[in-house]
Amino acid sequence: MMMRTLLLLPLLFCLHLSAWAHKASDSYLVVQATGTTVTVQWDIAVRDIDFALGLDQDGSGDITWGELRTRQADMAAWALSRLELTRGGGVCPLQVQQLQVDEHTDGAFAVLQIAGTCPGAAGPLGLQYRLLFDLDGLHRGLLRATVDGGTHTAVLSPTSGALQFGADGISRLAQFKQYLFEGVWHIWIGFDHILFLLALLLPAVLARTSPQGQWRGAERFGLAWKEVLWVVTSFTVAHSITLSLAALGLVSLPSRLVESAIALSVVLAAANNVWPVVEGRRWVVAFCFGLIHGFGFASVLAELGLPTDALALSLLGFNLGVETGQLAIVAVFLPVAFALRHTAFYRKGVFVGGSLLTMLVAALWLVERVFDLKLFTGAGG
Amino acid sequence: MLATRLGAALVLGACTMAAHAAPRTPVQDSEVIERLQLRPGDATARELSALRAAVASQPNNPEPAVALAQRYFALAAERGDPRYVGYADALVNRFATQMNAPLLMVRGMVRQYRHGFAEALADFEAALKLDADLAGAHAWRAAIYLVQANYGAAAQECTALQRLQRPVLHGGCAGLTQAYTGQLGAAYKTLQLALASAQDEDQRLWLHTRLGEVAGWQGQTNLAEQHYRQALALGVDDGYLLAAWTDFLLDAGRPEQVIQQLAQWESNDGLLLRLAEAETLLKLPAAAAHTQTLADRFAAAKLRGDTTHQAEKARFYLRLRKDAKEALRLANENYAVQKEPRDARIVLESALADRNPAAAAAVLEWLRTSGFEGTVLRALAQQLQPQQTSTAGGGK
Repeated sequence: MMMRTLLLLPLLFCLHLSAWAHKASDSYLVVQATGTTVTVQWDIAVRDIDFALGLDQDGSGDITWGELRTRQADMAAWALSRLELTRGGGVCPLQVQQLQVDEHTDGAFAVLQIAGTCPGAAGPLGLQYRLLFDLDGLHRGLLRATVDGGTHTAVLSPTSGALQFGADGISRLAQFKQYLFEGVWHIWIGFDHILFLLALLLPAVLARTSPQGQWRGAERFGLAWKEVLWVVTSFTVAHSITLSLAALGLVSLPSRLVESAIALSVVLAAANNVWPVVEGRRWVVAFCFGLIHGFGFASVLAELGLPTDALALSLLGFNLGVETGQLAIVAVFLPVAFALRHTAFYRKGVFVGGSLLTMLVAALWLVERVFDLKLFTGAGG
Repeated sequence: MLATRLGAALVLGACTMAAHAAPRTPVQDSEVIERLQLRPGDATARELSALRAAVASQPNNPEPAVALAQRYFALAAERGDPRYVGYADALVNRFATQMNAPLLMVRGMVRQYRHGFAEALADFEAALKLDADLAGAHAWRAAIYLVQANYGAAAQECTALQRLQRPVLHGGCAGLTQAYTGQLGAAYKTLQLALASAQDEDQRLWLHTRLGEVAGWQGQTNLAEQHYRQALALGVDDGYLLAAWTDFLLDAGRPEQVIQQLAQWESNDGLLLRLAEAETLLKLPAAAAHTQTLADRFAAAKLRGDTTHQAEKARFYLRLRKDAKEALRLANENYAVQKEPRDARIVLESALADRNPAAAAAVLEWLRTSGFEGTVLRALAQQLQPQQTSTAGGGK
């Protein structure tokens, strides 16, 4: 009795500092579930593994990569017995594929790269976590789970029990927003789509008196605006059609063919500015090639993974996002182009020069994509 | 100068990268991945392994579990490492259905550590029901009441310690209660009496630390330094002592000594804060890297929903990030939970820097009702008064 109380004394009235210093134990869990496939990246502190399993074989106080690596099987068995994922009515058996290391704010971590297959592709992902809770009551699992494109985060504690993550877990609005954002983002980083659109828009502020006459600036903003509206709308309608068909799995084309056709569309659209073949009805060109671009967007969407239960909403969000991104480009391009339309700089430099440059870049993409080469980087799509 | 800045930026970059590096596969088996805090041969490690062996041999006996849990808890305070608190918690949880007084004591300690003050008080209460002579439970309750500025309740616990004839615990308890309620002179004498009956190094270290603080509050810097030096001379690692001593040095305008003292304590975040403050005052390149490390650790704590370090975070924003508004918000958030002089001080300093005296109302009220005599706090409150009147006079 005496001993015990004396032991306590130095701690008394020191609530403050002892309340926070170093860091309590955390593991970092990144779970991705798409259909029946799950992957997990699990970062567990080397100190914690040592506490649970004893890693320091030579008693040196240092944990080497060799000491960690040779215990991979033990670590995998220990960790996987404390994590359970379920989907589609049963447990998803997990396997550690690879062991790596990483650093977090409080030291070295073992990184377990885990993969598994669930019995079913639909429904929420169930998760039960109990790493270290038997040894460390302050341990927490910091989870980021992406289930069919919807992302959730949670702090896993001894009292959090079994959790469920599905499309129900996040609001439809949040999901819609996420896909809207992805759509905007994709048009911004998709240089081939932007170049195609610009190639079609460059002549919108110009007009010719006769079929073989000189280009000159359009008379009224209204005319230029109408032309742009037609082009952008028909492009959107066209790519929405094929994007939806592809996303719903009704039509599927080989990606190399699609990517090559997109590059070709940019070449042709730019060439048409320098050596006009189609005039006046550029919206028809936008529509026809828009069908091809739609397949390109579909491959992005496939990578993101579409939630099965909110398919239409996500698709709509993505399409509207693409449209918003396009309108942002138009909103910047049109006033500038209209202001400059009477200048030689625009007609020769931007219109002819820009079209030639676009043609050259797109031609290189075309060669790359047709022959599967890597000539230069930066090709979008 | 430019080279120094560049160096700092590079160090900073390297630290940030280390914190967010991508997983990698080492090439050499001999590469050291992690250095354990306890070397297998050292005395603490041997002590822990003996205690663990005792637990393993009698898994259903709470006695060795309590002994190990208490050792873990003491280690957490020595080294400032919360993992040991988690270990103690897990050990106690094994007996959740058959709690006895010592187990309740440990659980209460763990709960107060997480700032679950109400739950902790309930555990100490339950422990005292099982064992009315449990001095430790009274002492812990007093500690919580002092943090909550409930001085009447704290005084009752001190009386209980006196009745149980625990002069050192009673002296510590009564001395601090006096200190917080406007009797610094009496507090100093009470703590000195307790020191006279102290029986071991741990007690002496603790009492010298608290005497140093009381003398510091009184503005007796030489006396304060003597006590801190006597505590340090005992040669025992103690995070609380180092924090109090380096705060004293910072107040005295001696940041060089803070850097010497804390060079090996970067892993303790409370002490890293003091180190970074000293480096910032001296405009050393290491300040940027240490400030970034602290920011990373605060972010990591936030991820796990940990809000037990708002006082340090407020100080970080005020003194390192120069963001008075955020500092004031955090300081008040902390003050809602903890109301000791240092909690009050960061509220006053932040309110002063943010020119927002109204936000310090709760602390000014505490200063008035408790009668706390700390010279620095009194001066800060004085500085806030003209701001208060000018704001009021401004017809805002």
